[in-house]
Amino acid sequence: MPVRVEETSSASQISGTAQGNPIPLPCTLLNVGKTFSGTQNVSSFHKDEAWRVNVRIQGYDIDHGYLCGTMEALNVPMADTPVITFWEGEIVDTKNYTFFTGKWETNAEDDIKHWTKFPSFSPLLSQVEADGGKTVDLSNYPYIFMRWKEQHFVNVGADCGLTIAGFYYVCFSCSDGSINGFYYDPNSSPFQKLELKSTNDERSGYSFSSYELQ
Amino acid sequence: MPTSSASNHSSHPEDLIGRLNSAHTPYEVKLKALRDLKNQIIGNRTKKLAFLKLGAVNSVVSILSSAVVAGGWENREFYELVLVQCAAIIGSFACGLEEGVNAVLDAGAFPLLLNLITHINDKVADAGARSLKLIYQSKRAPEYDFLQEKNMEFLLSLLNSKNENVSGLGANIITHSCQTTLEQNTLSEAGVIERLVGLLRGSLIQRDASLESLASMIYGNPEVASKFLSPENGRALSVVVELIKDKQPRTRMLACMCLIYLRNASTSYLQDSEIKNKLVMILLELLDDPGQVGDEAPFVLSSLISQKEDMQKIAYDADVVDKLCENLNIFSFQPTRLQGTFLALADLCSKLECCRDRVIHLKVFKFVTEALAHDNPHVRSAACYFLRNVSRSVKNLSAGQFMNEAVAAPLVQLLFDSNESVQIAALGAISNVVVDFTAHKSLFMQFGGVKQLVQLSKSMESAIRINAVWALKNLAFLVNNKCKEEILLELTISTLSSLISDPEASVQEQALALVRNLVDGTLNSIDYVFGENGLLLHAIGKQLWSTSKVEVLIQGMYTLSNVASGNELHKEAVMDQLFPKTINDKETVLVMFMQSADSRLRTAAVWALVNLTFPSSPGACGRVTKLQNAGIVCQLKNIVNDPCLDVKLRARTALGQLIMFGDAS
Repeated sequence: MPVRVEETSSASQISGTAQGNPIPLPCTLLNVGKTFSGTQNVSSFHKDEAWRVNVRIQGYDIDHGYLCGTMEALNVPMADTPVITFWEGEIVDTKNYTFFTGKWETNAEDDIKHWTKFPSFSPLLSQVEADGGKTVDLSNYPYIFMRWKEQHFVNVGADCGLTIAGFYYVCFSCSDGSINGFYYDPNSSPFQKLELKSTNDERSGYSFSSYELQ
Repeated sequence: MPTSSASNHSSHPEDLIGRLNSAHTPYEVKLKALRDLKNQIIGNRTKKLAFLKLGAVNSVVSILSSAVVAGGWENREFYELVLVQCAAIIGSFACGLEEGVNAVLDAGAFPLLLNLITHINDKVADAGARSLKLIYQSKRAPEYDFLQEKNMEFLLSLLNSKNENVSGLGANIITHSCQTTLEQNTLSEAGVIERLVGLLRGSLIQRDASLESLASMIYGNPEVASKFLSPENGRALSVVVELIKDKQPRTRMLACMCLIYLRNASTSYLQDSEIKNKLVMILLELLDDPGQVGDEAPFVLSSLISQKEDMQKIAYDADVVDKLCENLNIFSFQPTRLQGTFLALADLCSKLECCRDRVIHLKVFKFVTEALAHDNPHVRSAACYFLRNVSRSVKNLSAGQFMNEAVAAPLVQLLFDSNESVQIAALGAISNVVVDFTAHKSLFMQFGGVKQLVQLSKSMESAIRINAVWALKNLAFLVNNKCKEEILLELTISTLSSLISDPEASVQEQALALVRNLVDGTLNSIDYVFGENGLLLHAIGKQLWSTSKVEVLIQGMYTLSNVASGNELHKEAVMDQLFPKTINDKETVLVMFMQSADSRLRTAAVWALVNLTFPSSPGACGRVTKLQNAGIVCQLKNIVNDPCLDVKLRARTALGQLIMFGDAS
C-alpha cells in the first residue's frame, strides 16, 4: 500500500492555497460585487428602444483572463419581469485573449470595426493591425477591453422570445468605472450600444465588498 | 522418530490450544497441532479472531522460542519443521488483521522472526521472511532505524540475499520505514539504490518490492532522484519505463508511481508529452481493476496531477473524469477506493472549469450526499475536498447548484463532526458554497449553518476559527439585510470585536473582511459598526494603529473606507479612528499606508480619502482641512504617478477633490 501517496493527496488538499485574489485586480472598480447601471439601445426594423440594464460582476480569474456576472434588463416589452442573464467575459490581456475574437461568427475586420468605435482604442489601432496587438502593453492602460457573452437565462425560460446568441465588445474605463459596449449578432441590427455607469446606490462615495474562494 | 499414534484428538479450538500449551505433550503432537491450527486459520478471519481470543499467538510464540533453543543439535530437521510452521502461523495471524499484528508484536515474535531469516536452512529463513513481510504491511510494524550502522549492514545483507523473500523483505522494510529526507539520503549513500535496481531484474516478488521501495526513497527528494537517473545506475530508468507495460497490474501501477515521483522531483526527466499521456492512459485502465490495485490507483493518479494544470488537462481529454464518476457508483462499498476517487476528482477540479462542468453534468451529487454521511472519516473529508474544488466554479455558484438539501445541508451536519479534520474539510467546502449568488443564502440559515459557524469561530483550534470566520465572511458577501441581522444576532458585536483582536493575524483579517461585507450594501448597513457604543469601530481603529500585518491593514482600511462612503456621521466617525485624540491628532496612519510597498494597501487608503473628501458632503470642508494639516496632500502628490494604475487614478481623483476646496496646491 503506497502509504505516502495517501497522505500526500490529503495533504495537498489541505494545504491548497486560497483561490481568491492572489494577483491584485487591475482595477478595483471592476471588482466582484460592483454594479453598473445604464441602458442598451435595442433597434429593429420597427422601432428604437432603450432598455434599462443593470450589470453585476460576480467572479473573475485574472490568470485565465476570465470575468463573469449577471445582466438584468428592465422594461423588456416581451417579459413581465426583469430578465436576468448570466454572462462570461474574456479580458483582452494579450496573454489569454487578443483583440481578435476568432469565433462567434466574426472575422478580423468585424473585430477592428467594433474596437475602433471606442475612442480609447485609437492609440492601439496601428499596433493591433500590424501584429494583432501582441506587443501592446495593456497592463498600465487605463481602459480594459473585453468580450462578454451571455450564457444562459437565470430567471426565465429559454423560450421567452429573447435571444442571447450574440456577444458584446466592451470597453471599461478604469478612471470612472463607466462601461461602453456594442452588441454583435449577425442576425440583429449592428452596433447596438450599451452604456453603463458605476453605481454607488445611495452612498456618498465608493464601497467595496469581497469574497475569497478556498 | 516416534510418530504420533492414531488418536481421536479433536480439533476443537480449546483442545488444540491445550495441546500446544501443555508441557506433557510430545513435540510430534505439537507439530501436528500446529499444522492443524495453520490450516484452520489461513484465509479465515473469523477463526483467526477466535483463536486470538484463546491466546493462540502466545502459545505459538512460546513454542517458537523454545524450538529455536532446542533445535541446536539433535533432531535439527524436526525442530526446523516446527520453526517453519510457527513462522507461517504468526504470519497468517498478522495478515491483514490489525488485532493479529498487535498480538504478534506484543507476544515478542518480532525479534524471534528476525533471527530466523539468517538461519542456514533456506526454508526456515524463507518462512521467517514471509512472516515478517506480512507484519510489515501494517503501520504498526516497528520502525527500522537506518541511521544505525549495524542496522544498515543487516539491511544490505538482506538485499543481497539470493532468497527472493529475504531480499524482498529488505525492500519492504525500506518502504515501511523510510520517511524522512535524512533517511532517504542515508540509504542512498549506503548504496541501496544500486541493490534495488538489481532487484528490478529479479523475480516478480523482488521487482514489485523494489519498485515500491525505490518510490519511497525518491519521493520528494531531487538528490536521490538524480542519483537514480545517473549513468552509474545504467539503464535503471528505462527498466522502470518498460515495467509500466508489464502484464501484472500491480507492477504497472508501482512502475507508474516510481516514474511519477521521479518526474515530480526532477525538472528535466520525463517531461515530454509522450510519457505524460502514457502515464494517464495506464492509470486510467488501472482504475478498472476490481482489486487492491484499483483501490490504490486513484491515489497514484492524484500524485501525477496534483497542482499540475497541464496534467489535469491531459486527464480530462482522456475522459478520466467520466471514469472516476462511474467508479463512485460501482465501488461505493469500498471506502479506500471511494476516498481515493473523491481525492482524484478534487485534484481534477482544482483549477479547470471544464472538469467542474463535466462533473456537474454527470450528476454525481447523489453519491456525494451519501459520502458526506459515510462511517469512514477519510471518505467524509475526501468528499468535502471534492465539493470545495467543484464549487470554485463561479458559474455554478451563480446558478445555485450547491445551496440545497443535497449538498449544503449535509455539509452543515459535518460542522458537528467529532473528527476535527473532517470539520476543517467541511468548513473549506462551506466557505465556497455560501458564496452562492442566488437568493438562497437564507437556506443556509435554515440548515442551522450560521449557528454552528459562530460556535466554531470560538474554537480553541485556530485553524477552525480562521475557516469559520472565512465562511461567515463569504456568507455576508452581497447578502440581504435580514440575513446580516441574523448573522450579527448569533455572532454578537462583542464576539466579532474579539475576533478582530484575535491573537492570530489570519483570524483578524477574516473578521475585518466580514465587517467590510456587512457594511457594504444599503446605506443603513453601515450602522452595524455603531452598535454597542461603536465597539467594532474602536476595535478596527485599534488594529490599524497597532498591527503591521499588511493583509489585516488592507481589510481594516477597506472597512473604514466603506463606512466613509456613508453620511456625515459615518465619515466623522472614520475621521475619529484615523485621527484618535489619544495619539497626536495631527498624525494619521493614512500617510503611512500611502507609502506602503503593497499597492493594495495604498489603493485602500486612497479610496478612504476619496470617500472622506467626497464633494457632495456638507462636512467635507472641515475634513479636508484636517487632512491637509496632516500632510495628506503632499503624500497624494507623491503617488499621483504611482506605478500601480489603480493607485494613480484614485490619487488623482482625491487630489482633484481636495483642490476643489482651495488652498491645496
